[in-house]
Amino acid sequence: MAMMIKRAVAAVLLSVSVVGALTAADVQGTIVIKRKLTKRRVTAPASAYERGVTVELGAARETDFLSFERSRVAIYLEGQFQTQPATAVLEQKNRQFVTDTLVVPAGSTVSFPNRDPIFHNVFSLSKPKTFDLGNYPKDHTRTVSFDRPGVVFVNCRLHPNMSAAIVVAPNQWCTKADAAGRFALPDVPPGSYTIVAWHRAAGFFRQPVKVGTDRASPVEFIIPLDENGDAKVVAQR
Amino acid sequence: MRFATRTFLWSFIPFVVLLLGSFWAIQKLVEHTVRDGLRTSLRQTHVSVARVRATSELQNSRFLEILGENAALKAGLQLLLAAPHSEDARRTVEDQLREICAKLGFDFLLVSNPDGAALAGVMRVGEQLVGMDVARLRPPHRGFTTVGERSYQVVSTPIDQGDENIGILSVGEPFDFSTFTTPAVLAHRGKVLKSSIPGIPLEEVEAALKPCKERTECEVRLRGEAYISLPMDSISFGEGYVLRSLQSIDAASGPVQGILRNVFGIAGLGALLATAIVTILSSQSIVRPIRGVVAHLKESEGTGLLPEFRAKPARIQEIRELAESFNRAASAIREARSNLHRAYVEFVGSLASALDARDRYTAGHSRRVSELACAVARSMNMAPHELEVIRIGALLHDIGKIGIVDSVLQNPGKLTNEEFALIQQHPTIGRRILEGVHGFQDYLSIVELHHENWNGTGYPWGLRGDATPLGARIVHVADAYDAMTSDRPYRRGMSLEQAIRVLRQYAGTQFDPAIVPVFAGVMAFNQQTESANGGPGRVHLLPHAVNDAHEA
Repeated sequence: MAMMIKRAVAAVLLSVSVVGALTAADVQGTIVIKRKLTKRRVTAPASAYERGVTVELGAARETDFLSFERSRVAIYLEGQFQTQPATAVLEQKNRQFVTDTLVVPAGSTVSFPNRDPIFHNVFSLSKPKTFDLGNYPKDHTRTVSFDRPGVVFVNCRLHPNMSAAIVVAPNQWCTKADAAGRFALPDVPPGSYTIVAWHRAAGFFRQPVKVGTDRASPVEFIIPLDENGDAKVVAQR
Repeated sequence: MRFATRTFLWSFIPFVVLLLGSFWAIQKLVEHTVRDGLRTSLRQTHVSVARVRATSELQNSRFLEILGENAALKAGLQLLLAAPHSEDARRTVEDQLREICAKLGFDFLLVSNPDGAALAGVMRVGEQLVGMDVARLRPPHRGFTTVGERSYQVVSTPIDQGDENIGILSVGEPFDFSTFTTPAVLAHRGKVLKSSIPGIPLEEVEAALKPCKERTECEVRLRGEAYISLPMDSISFGEGYVLRSLQSIDAASGPVQGILRNVFGIAGLGALLATAIVTILSSQSIVRPIRGVVAHLKESEGTGLLPEFRAKPARIQEIRELAESFNRAASAIREARSNLHRAYVEFVGSLASALDARDRYTAGHSRRVSELACAVARSMNMAPHELEVIRIGALLHDIGKIGIVDSVLQNPGKLTNEEFALIQQHPTIGRRILEGVHGFQDYLSIVELHHENWNGTGYPWGLRGDATPLGARIVHVADAYDAMTSDRPYRRGMSLEQAIRVLRQYAGTQFDPAIVPVFAGVMAFNQQTESANGGPGRVHLLPHAVNDAHEA
């Protein structure tokens, strides 16, 4: 813990020294995941409830599971400096949170609309934000604002399988990788930063990155796997 | 009815009655035993079914205990209790139940409020889990419930939140008869919901079960087959539900009955055969001697004789006695007959004597003619009964002279033509006299025809040669001889030799040429015997009876 704080402080100092000195540059990088990390579940589509159709619940038969894994990786720069609060939507649809990984800068407001014909409930017991929005039916929505950075896990009391993670980044430079694993953090002021990648199953991965005046060196996160095929968690949350 | 038939019936009918009686008794016994066996097997089935049921209920109740503690479900139930009319809330809980069913493989899952009224439920229809119409559905805590056409066996557990009961969770299994090794029927207040009796529609089963009281054993008839039906009382099935298992009595007792029928059929057939054989054998030992007696009697019907029965003595005492008494009766009858015969012969003899006595010249004529004729017949080897006919016929040959007036008969002078014509009527008269006498038919020919000549010049008919019976021809010769050798008022009798000469002279014209030599032979033999004996001889050739009669 003490270590983290030290690092954070160092990063802040570093970035402060850099910010504003020169024009910004884009940080670009790739996420490399070679193995499947998550067991996805199938849930019935909303229309099934009206029709009473059963869906075979269980592991989904994915073809491009690596894209899915890559698209679930949140990337942000460490250090509380410039933030620009945003508004995000986390839908409850087909008994799932869509998406299951949301990245927002600190101070953002997230709304949780229910798109299913059944009741849902949204609550979280995570340290950065604890809330319970209660049960609400279709097309109702509730909003929550996230001020403290950190990872907030969101669940539904009625549907224990439903789960989403909201990564509240400390600043505005935060994003998710695309299906190919590519990501970009635009307009980062030159300086030395610690760039963090977070995968729900694999955890945090950190790398130092130097941002120059016009370009930044590309970052590559290899989410490593041990001999059992599990992701090696290199840093705790 | 024949003796054998009668014996057969008398011995076979009791046997058949006995067989049928024992068949009936054994059949009843078998039926009773089979029924007992079926009852026991039904009870055993019930016990094992109850055990299986209990195990599965226990398992279900364990699942239920866990499910009852499901936080999400509790949350759902609370939501539903808070918004009882919300479609979305019901759907939410249904969805939860659906997921549980899909995961745990249940077919029926239902939540009710603490009062027991159903709030939401799902059941499996085909491959799908569909929401139930829960209006007015009040599942039992434990037992059967029927939703639509389906019957479920339900077990329930309370859902508690802290100390408060917030609802009831019921899990149901579709009821089937797979655990039953026998046909079974599920009924609710007399209405048959389900039946595992193959090929018989529910309505028919229901109609058959109608007379059965709800909780008692009873016997029903389905399509002509008898079933024993036992209600299962080791498990409670909820209000009004009765589960009955059935066993076909006919199917169970059929093979045994079949064997019984075969055994008794064979026994009956065997008895029939045995009785028939025994009857034939035993009746033969009685019938054969009786048949012998009957044949004997039939024979004597024809012959008029009743000879003694000379079969080998029978082994059966009664038959032996019968034969003996028959023989005694036969000899008694014979005795009586011979007495009668003797009396009749005596009568004939005295009749002849009476005739002869009318005229001293003809005295003894009939007797002598009879003796002579018999002697001739004997030497011609005639049969004894023919001899007898000749003897009596000869005795009576002149009986017709009774009807001729003494003046003509005893006329010592020469007869006129009219007188001779009268005399010539005596054979016809004799015939007429004897015709009416029973038993004298044999002698008629001798009496009537003893004056027929060989060449057809005799009277009354003028028959020729063989047309005149042998007996009459013999008597003709003997009569002529005796007439010639007898004295007459107008002449002395000829000597034997003279008479023979005359006979020889007329042989072939008046007399049978074959008889005359025989007659001559007999007379010659007689003379020889006479001279050898040294006294006047008699023709000792007649049966003693006749001689006796004459001497008497």
